[in-house]
Amino acid sequence: MNEVVALSIGQFSLIYLLLLIVLFVMKKSKIHQTKLLLVASLRMTVQLVLAGFILTYIFENPHPAFTIFYLLLMTGFAIYMILSRNKTINRNFKLIVALSLAGSGIAIVCFFIITVVGVSIFNPQYTIPIGGMIIGNAMTGVSLGLKTFDESIKAQHSKINTLINVGATPQKILIPFVNQSVETALLPTLYSMLSMGVISLPGMMTGQILSGTLPMTAIFYQIAIVIAITAVTCLAVFCSLYFGYKTLYNERNQFLLARR
Amino acid sequence: MSIFRLKNVNYKNIIRYPNIEIQQGCTTFISGESGSGKSTLLKLLNGITSPTSGEIFYLDKNITDYTTMDLRREILLVSQQSYLFDMSIRDNFQEYYAYRELENICNEQMQYFLKICAVDNQLDDNCNVMSGGERQRIFTAINLSFPSKVLMLDEPVSALDHKNANTLMSNIKTYCKEQKKKLIVVSHDKTLMDKYADEIINISKEKKNNE
Repeated sequence: MNEVVALSIGQFSLIYLLLLIVLFVMKKSKIHQTKLLLVASLRMTVQLVLAGFILTYIFENPHPAFTIFYLLLMTGFAIYMILSRNKTINRNFKLIVALSLAGSGIAIVCFFIITVVGVSIFNPQYTIPIGGMIIGNAMTGVSLGLKTFDESIKAQHSKINTLINVGATPQKILIPFVNQSVETALLPTLYSMLSMGVISLPGMMTGQILSGTLPMTAIFYQIAIVIAITAVTCLAVFCSLYFGYKTLYNERNQFLLARR
Repeated sequence: MSIFRLKNVNYKNIIRYPNIEIQQGCTTFISGESGSGKSTLLKLLNGITSPTSGEIFYLDKNITDYTTMDLRREILLVSQQSYLFDMSIRDNFQEYYAYRELENICNEQMQYFLKICAVDNQLDDNCNVMSGGERQRIFTAINLSFPSKVLMLDEPVSALDHKNANTLMSNIKTYCKEQKKKLIVVSHDKTLMDKYADEIINISKEKKNNE
């Protein structure tokens, strides 16, 4: 197999031209997110270039502390992203979300690296990219689940109030919201499995094939990572909401939905 | 003998309740201008919310000494805002009984409670096409059918015309008397109050004196 074509800065810059199309559509459909597009593209570029430098350094000077630090940094950033998109939830709920994401994310990463791949968790070449995919997807899932939960509870305020008065227990009232939100968070991952390999060769596999890995090896990795992503999404969302909903009422079974 | 007794109850420093006593075994109306804390009082009486300070006694025992869910089910609040699921009347009974973790009642019993609340729809009629008044009465019927010792109605006739309002109040009062259920009603309807109240507790006057 050939080595991947290294992109020169000049060639590479051409890809940014595609953003003009996005900009054009946004102007045409009056989507006032031009600023977000610019900030997001810029941030992505800067963050990835930085990551490139850091990874180069870590690969050249491997040290367990670097790998662990990188993993923790990713987890912390994922937690920060989720919480900044779901500001209205209470403090204990936030804590539970953070613990759920960190706990399930790190557990699944360890299982993947140590048990399935069979290399040391301190190996940066495996732990950093795989950890990133697992934790990144857990972040998307938890964020979606949390948003669904929070919004549906606000939208169904009058139903909830009525059920409280009727004498239903808070668990009985809230569990359906938890279940519904876990399902909503899980569906995109499940649907993406359906089309995988037919419509698209997923990102990880594409990367490996580009860099010269045998397709069969790439496929095994891809299947493994998709299953790990499904599991981590499910676990992180479930833990966040299942333990989190209990922060919505006190020991006298009174609801604390006040902050809106 | 009093069934409820309030002692220096203060709610979030917005409402200071007079030290009222609500008597056992009669129909009590609570009056007061809007914003005087009538609906909040009902929520305080069954512990759906707690006072910032002060004490509330139910049958001479502080309500904090009761199990919260038991208290809420024993002293049932029928809120002003009625909520029904988008399904038939029968299924609404079913749904609410499931939420209460109770065995559903039979069709005859449902019809009995619907009749008390002046509902003349069929059990299979879908609730999402009904008027506000019909929905309110069905909602009241479901609540009335739950086992409780005290029934608190918050503006039970707000969406009803005169005729239906009278039928409903008169039937419920009779039913509660038979069943020895204590009935507490919040209503701003003066004629309704004069007609059905055995005891009237005004909470707005005292509030002004306190402030």
